Amino acid sequence: MFEARHISVAYGKHRALEDVSVTVAAGEIVAMLGANGAGKSTFLKAVAGLVAKDAGGGVALDGREIGALPPHEIVERGIALVPEGRGLFDDLTVIENLTLGAYPRRARASESENLERVLDLFPVLAQRRRQVARTLSGGQQQMVAIGTAMMSAPFMLMLDEPSLGLSPMLCTELFRTLARVREARVGILLVEQNAKQSLAIADRGYLLENGRITGEDSAANLADDPSVQAAYLGAASPA
Amino acid sequence: MDILIIGVLLGGAYALMAVGLQLQYGVARIMNLANGEILVAGAFGAFWFFTGSQVSPLITVIGYAPVAFAANWAIYRYLMLPLVRRSKSEGHLEVDSILATFGLSFILVGVMLALFGGEFFSYSFLEKPFDIMGQPYEQNRLVAFLYAAAFCVGLYVWLHRTRMGLTLRAVSVSPEASRRVGIDVAGASALAFGLGGAITAAGGGLLSTFLVFDASIGIIFTMKALVIVIMGGLRDIRGSIVAAFVLGLTETAVASLIDPGLTLAAAYVVFILVLLFRPQGIFGRRAT
Ligand SMILES: Nc1ncnc2c1ncn2[C@@H]1O[C@H](COP(=O)(O)OP(=O)(O)O)[C@@H](O)[C@H]1O
Ligand SMILES: [Mg+2]
Repeated sequence: MFEARHISVAYGKHRALEDVSVTVAAGEIVAMLGANGAGKSTFLKAVAGLVAKDAGGGVALDGREIGALPPHEIVERGIALVPEGRGLFDDLTVIENLTLGAYPRRARASESENLERVLDLFPVLAQRRRQVARTLSGGQQQMVAIGTAMMSAPFMLMLDEPSLGLSPMLCTELFRTLARVREARVGILLVEQNAKQSLAIADRGYLLENGRITGEDSAANLADDPSVQAAYLGAASPA
Repeated sequence: MDILIIGVLLGGAYALMAVGLQLQYGVARIMNLANGEILVAGAFGAFWFFTGSQVSPLITVIGYAPVAFAANWAIYRYLMLPLVRRSKSEGHLEVDSILATFGLSFILVGVMLALFGGEFFSYSFLEKPFDIMGQPYEQNRLVAFLYAAAFCVGLYVWLHRTRMGLTLRAVSVSPEASRRVGIDVAGASALAFGLGGAITAAGGGLLSTFLVFDASIGIIFTMKALVIVIMGGLRDIRGSIVAAFVLGLTETAVASLIDPGLTLAAAYVVFILVLLFRPQGIFGRRAT
């Protein structure tokens, strides 16, 4: 069980997040929808320890508080982030990227099984093991990014707009993959602009506007909600 | 032929000192202008053990490696890390670290002057001739070269075949992605800084077997190492190694064909040509 409670973040005077609370159970897929600039990336970075949180909030994994730890310790506890724009080790090979994903001590023991699982999920990567990440296509880079996060054997996987820049076909494949990742009892927090496909695989969803949570419901209810349809699903193509 | 062989032999030891600087800059992102003083300290160490108790420099450079590592690790941990922590950008850190290490270089020069005085020093180690294709060369140059080559190859293999080596390369490629996969970037940087210092000190010990040193000559070696690392493209130690040979050959050619006083000037001409025509280094990749 992942719980983020009362998270607030400010960039100087600019308040980007105000009192945001989110929970994700093991094996659950939770979508977070919000317009550009709503604070979605900021929330994920705050959880990962990459931006400073205001005092008063907390992050817990299975009841254990991890909010104050440095980023590398948070990964060690089992929270992995696939950032916006992938954030690969550009100049390293596919296999080196994946190996680095297994850097946390907790992940070392199961490194070879996890690698097998990742290569099973993304067979292209097996053929391109020795290729430098920078020279891969956008879709393949996204696979490396997700695979690297999976190599850390996370309990909680956070993805920041993973479908950005992918073709519709690759997008569908990506969401199918995430549904398979969930089967390993990993909790998934999916930040997306592609509301239609993310709500289709999610169990629940949150709406984030101007740094505040403005709605929370089951994914099915959100997909049926007229105001959600107008804001995130496009009036022309109701779900 | 003479020039070629002496140039290559010199390039070997240059490669070692430059690779030390490169580890510090590439991984820890500190442009260490006190690198030359670490090199001179290494030369003093080799000199002192050789003249004092007849210990071969080849043993000394390995023996003092842990000391050099610890000293450089501590420089990073206690002097550089506070700068890293408060810097807002890489450019900001670069300015801070250049000023801080430049200041440090004066402190180190002062300490060495106090300990050893301002005299030139040298010693004769393996000054026997050695024939390559009928021409005699000094054995110490050859041995220093072989030693340096073994260090460089060993380091390359370590960086590419071990998890710790991969970790250092990861930090050099992207500190941000490193943090995300759970690498303690500050710890890895301190390790690289210490290792780089130990390698530079070893390079100094090897160079002292055939060059003359004094306490304040470090700045010249800092400049040479900078020229090599920037020429090599900053990213891959193979670039620095090749660039070190380019510099060794250029210096030797200029010294024997034109005038020994012009070696440093020649190094700069090569450097400026590279900056003008290939700013990403001879082997570097253009930023995209
Ligand atoms: N490093 C930063 N410094 C200052 N402001 C930032 C920074 N990153 C994001 N912001 C601001 O915080 C708000 C939320 O940004 P972000 O979390 O990236 O939104 P989203 O991911 O939902 O598009 C935006 O107004 C953005 O301009
Ligand atoms: Mg974003």
